[in-house]
Formats: sequence, C-alpha cells, structure tokens
Amino acid sequence: MAALEHLAGGVGASPLPRAAAWPWRTALPAPLRRLLLALALPAAIVALWQWAAVRGWVPPQILPAPALVWDTFLELARGGELLEGFLISLQRIGSGLALGGPLGLALGIWLGVSARARSHLEPTLRALFAVPTLGWIPILILIFGIDEALKVIVIAKAVMVPVVLSTSRGIRNIPLAYLEAARVLRLRPWTRLTRLTLPACLPTVFSGFRLGLSHAFIALIVVEMLAATEGIGYMMVWGRKLFQLDIVIVGIVVVGVAGCVLDLLLRRLERGLSRWAPGHG
Amino acid sequence: MTLWKHLAAFALATAAAFGAHAQAQPETIRFGGFGQGFGQPHGVALLAIAQGKGFIADEFKGTPVKLSFEYFTGTGPAINEAIANNRLDVAQYGSLPNIIGKAGGLPTRILASYGYTTVFGLARKDLEVNSFKDLKGRKVAVAKGTVLHWALLKALQDNGLTLRDIQLVDLKTADQLAALSAGSVDAAVGSSSLLTLRDKGVGKVFYSSKDQGAKASGFGGILVSETFEKQYPDATQRIANGLVKAAHWLGQEANRDEAYRIWTLSGMPYQAFKDDYDGVSLKDAFNPRVDAFLLSQYDDAIDFTKDNKLIRNDIDVAKWAAPQYVENALRAQGLQTYWTNRAALVARR
Repeated sequence: MAALEHLAGGVGASPLPRAAAWPWRTALPAPLRRLLLALALPAAIVALWQWAAVRGWVPPQILPAPALVWDTFLELARGGELLEGFLISLQRIGSGLALGGPLGLALGIWLGVSARARSHLEPTLRALFAVPTLGWIPILILIFGIDEALKVIVIAKAVMVPVVLSTSRGIRNIPLAYLEAARVLRLRPWTRLTRLTLPACLPTVFSGFRLGLSHAFIALIVVEMLAATEGIGYMMVWGRKLFQLDIVIVGIVVVGVAGCVLDLLLRRLERGLSRWAPGHG
Repeated sequence: MTLWKHLAAFALATAAAFGAHAQAQPETIRFGGFGQGFGQPHGVALLAIAQGKGFIADEFKGTPVKLSFEYFTGTGPAINEAIANNRLDVAQYGSLPNIIGKAGGLPTRILASYGYTTVFGLARKDLEVNSFKDLKGRKVAVAKGTVLHWALLKALQDNGLTLRDIQLVDLKTADQLAALSAGSVDAAVGSSSLLTLRDKGVGKVFYSSKDQGAKASGFGGILVSETFEKQYPDATQRIANGLVKAAHWLGQEANRDEAYRIWTLSGMPYQAFKDDYDGVSLKDAFNPRVDAFLLSQYDDAIDFTKDNKLIRNDIDVAKWAAPQYVENALRAQGLQTYWTNRAALVARR
C-alpha cells in the first residue's frame, strides 16, 4: 500500500499522469504509434522464431532460420518468380472477386427483400454452401476443365458465400422504424433501394466482402494446389514437395501481407462509401 | 530454485544419454511408408510383407522392442517431415522424395530397395496415341516431383523426345482421373490406379513399364535414419534380416496370391496388384539389394532432379547407401547367389 502511494505520489506530480508515465504516447504521432503497436506482435514472433532456430528447438528442415527465409525471399524476388506468381494469383483473386462479389450481392439483396426467394432458394443455397469447395472440384473439372475458368469459379464461389449471407442478413436487420418511414414517405422501389436499403446494410455487406476476401485466399491455395503451374499458392505447395519449407514460409508471409493490405483497402472503400451514402453514418 | 531445476535437468539429460548408450536395443522402432489412404496401418511393397508375415517381429522375438507401423496418405513430403520431426526411424518411400529429403539435409541411409512398381501411360480413347511418340505437343498429366515424373522423362527419352515436347500438367491421381474424363488432358502417366479409366472405357493403356522391366519402373528405398543406425547397429541389422526374409518369401511363385492379399489390407483392390505384378517376376521386382544398379538409378534420378531444379545440393550416393546390412543378411541366410549382382545401368559417376 505504501509502495502504491509512493508510486501515485511520484506520478501525481504531473497533471496528466498517464501521459507522464508513457511519454512516447504523445511524442509519437498517432498513425505511427498505431503502426508500431500493430508490428509489435509480428516482431515478437520473429524474435521467438530466431530464438527457436538458434537453440535448435525444431529441425531446420521444418522451420528454417529467419535469415535463410529472407535470403530465399530475396532470391525469389530477384528472379522475378515471386512477383510473377503473385500477379497471377492476384489476377485470379481479382477475377474471383469481380465475378463472385456482384453475384453474391445480387443474390443477397434478392434473398433480403423477397420472402418468396427466401423460402424457395435459401434452403438449397445453404445446403450448397455447406459443401466444402474441395468436394466440388471433381465435378467442376468435368464441367470447366482444368484451366483458368475452374480457378476463377472456385474462388468466386468462396467469395460469394459470405457476401450472400451477410447481405441478406444486413437487409433483414434494417430497423423497422426506417422501413416504416419509407412506407410513410411512399418511396418508389428504386429510391428505397438506393436511399434506404443499400446504405443501411452497407457495414454488414462490407464485413461480408472482407470475409469473402479471406475465403478467396484459402480457395486460391486450394485451386493452385491442383492443376496450376504458377501462382503463389502453387509456389507454396511446390516448396513443401521439394522439402524447402523456406519457400513455404515466404509464401505465408506474402499471402498474409497481401491479405492484410487488401483488407485495409476494402475498409478504406467502405469508409469512403459510407460518407458518400446519403442519410447514413 | 532455478539452479536446482537446471541441475535436475542436467542430471536427467546425462542419465538419458548414458542410458541410451548402454542400451543395445531401442524401446520402439517406428516404421512408416507410403499408403493408399483410409488411415490403414497396412501398406504395400516389401515393408508390408515384412510386417504382415511377421518377419521383422520374429527378428526381435525375446527382446522388449516394440514395433509400430504407420502409413501416410500424403506420401513423400509427409514422410520427409515425419523423419525430420523424429517421428520415424525407418521409412519406405519413393526415390524422388528420398532424394529431395536427403538434399534438404535429412540424415538418412538407404537400407534396402523396396521393389519396383509398374508405371502406366493412359490416353483418351478418342485419340490416336499408341506410344510416347504420339504425345508430342499434347497435354500430359503427371504428379510432378514424384518418381512418375522421372519415369515419364525416361520414357520420353527412349522415344527421342524431351519434357519440352509435351505440355506437362501437374495433377494428383484423383484429379488426373477427372481431367482425363473431362478431356482437359490428353494422357496421364501414373500408377495402376489409372487403370480404373481403362475399365470404365474412358481411356486406353498405351504404355506399361512391364515391357522394359526395372530400368523404367518406379523405384525407391527403405531408409533408416542415421541417428538410429549409429545408435542401434544391431537393431538395424535385424531389420535388414527381416526385409531379406520377406524378399525371399516374395520371390517364391507359390506365395504370389498371398502377397496380393496382404497388400489389399492397405485398402487397394486386389485387381490393382494383378495389374501391377501379373506377368512380372516378383523375385526380380523385390530384389532388396542396394547394388550398383540401384545406385546408378539413384544417380540418374539425382541428375534429373538437378536438371529440373528440384534440389539445391548434390548428393554423394555412395556415402548415402548402406548396402552392408542387406549383404550381411544375404550371407547369413545363404542367399548370396539368389539375386545376381546387377551392374550399373549407366556408368556411375
């Protein structure tokens, strides 16, 4: 107790005790501070990884040292393989998003506004969505072959599922008061859609898109595991086959960073759209 | 407190180290191999016979040594990872993952050859494909980085072609079947599991390595981890004794049907083994010797993996091989002349 009082006395001298105790809180600008805080955990993981490598806790063939992974990263980056594979994968993700996103949005809106669609379509859709992508692949190969179309469709399906579910949920969860106001104002269907429905469900739709994006990365690895000879997912599968797990770790880091950046972009887009959307946020 | 903990840990470690040196036999020997899925504790090839007929267990009769057998669905890479994680002492798997693991610094020794597996080439029924020559410019599916990839190259070379003359598509067996049925690829090179398409009338077999024998077939080794071999040379010898007995048993024509039946425990159908081995001398196919012929095949596969950038380091095959255990067993069992000494296929480096 005495120690506590002593501590309090020492800190209490300043009118802003927390700022005095943590001077760096004010010394650094907020964005930089956030960045540093976000990087703290990855830095700790790398430190632990390095420590594990030095102490030989895990066999070097399974978890190569950070320095080796860095060398491999540089080698792959200089050789152009990394960028080439990354661009191909990004293109696949982009096509998958472009196909699955609008389709999922349309289906989700339909399910959200029409009770009939809900009763006719939703059980089937939920049953289809419950089947993991891997189970579809032999059938999809029969229909689409093994070329690019197959990959884009598998990714599009992965994106579509969360988009459909969250869009229809977002629409159904619009507060009753808004709907009643729209009815009283006798809004035309189009106005109602653009002025009420879409803006009100925007946050849920976007969380669906962001979830869809992370599903897209999982699907990417699955489709590149089969019938691909390029792309970042293929690079990882190939690295494991060659027992060069440094390549796999480079892939993990690249996919992780790319996913993080894309998520950030989507969040920016959401903020921009919410500002633009009238009467919301 | 921490000092005591450290001292206790040190005492334990030294006790364990001394104990291990004093111990002539390991507590358990963990065997592993490629399997056919379904999580079966049964496999195929030489190790499955040595296990199924109890040849290895007999060698350890009267000792407290326990034997465990585990067969992996994920084959090569999964087995290499299991050895690296010290979960396996002895493993039977294909030559390409053998090489890839060794080049990656995995401490293994080649204890025995596990036998030869037939490689098949299957083309879509509507195509005029009668030999590898007809594959020029066509889409061919194969599981890259496996011994089948190597076997494809060998067969192409025999027909004056290279891997550049075809469009290679990297597919696993199950997907090869779908892709061939859909017509997305023209042909596939694989194991007897491809033959289901022949039976369904989708494809026709245009090639079988049976005609060419061991030099064109899939091959691989039963590898022992170097730490195990150094620590337990006696147990390593006993394992080799059991493997040689199994190979000798397999070599007798009367046992063929029983061998197929032991292999079906792996979950593969009886027909697959008939397709693989009918008309093939099991004595020749399951020659366990780590001889000049086997080493020259490893040399050849190493050159292939280097040319295709599958490995980063070279391997000294002569140092990798541990032929003495099988040779000792052959002498002890009076089988020195049962299998003739095969010469190297190509001049050894």
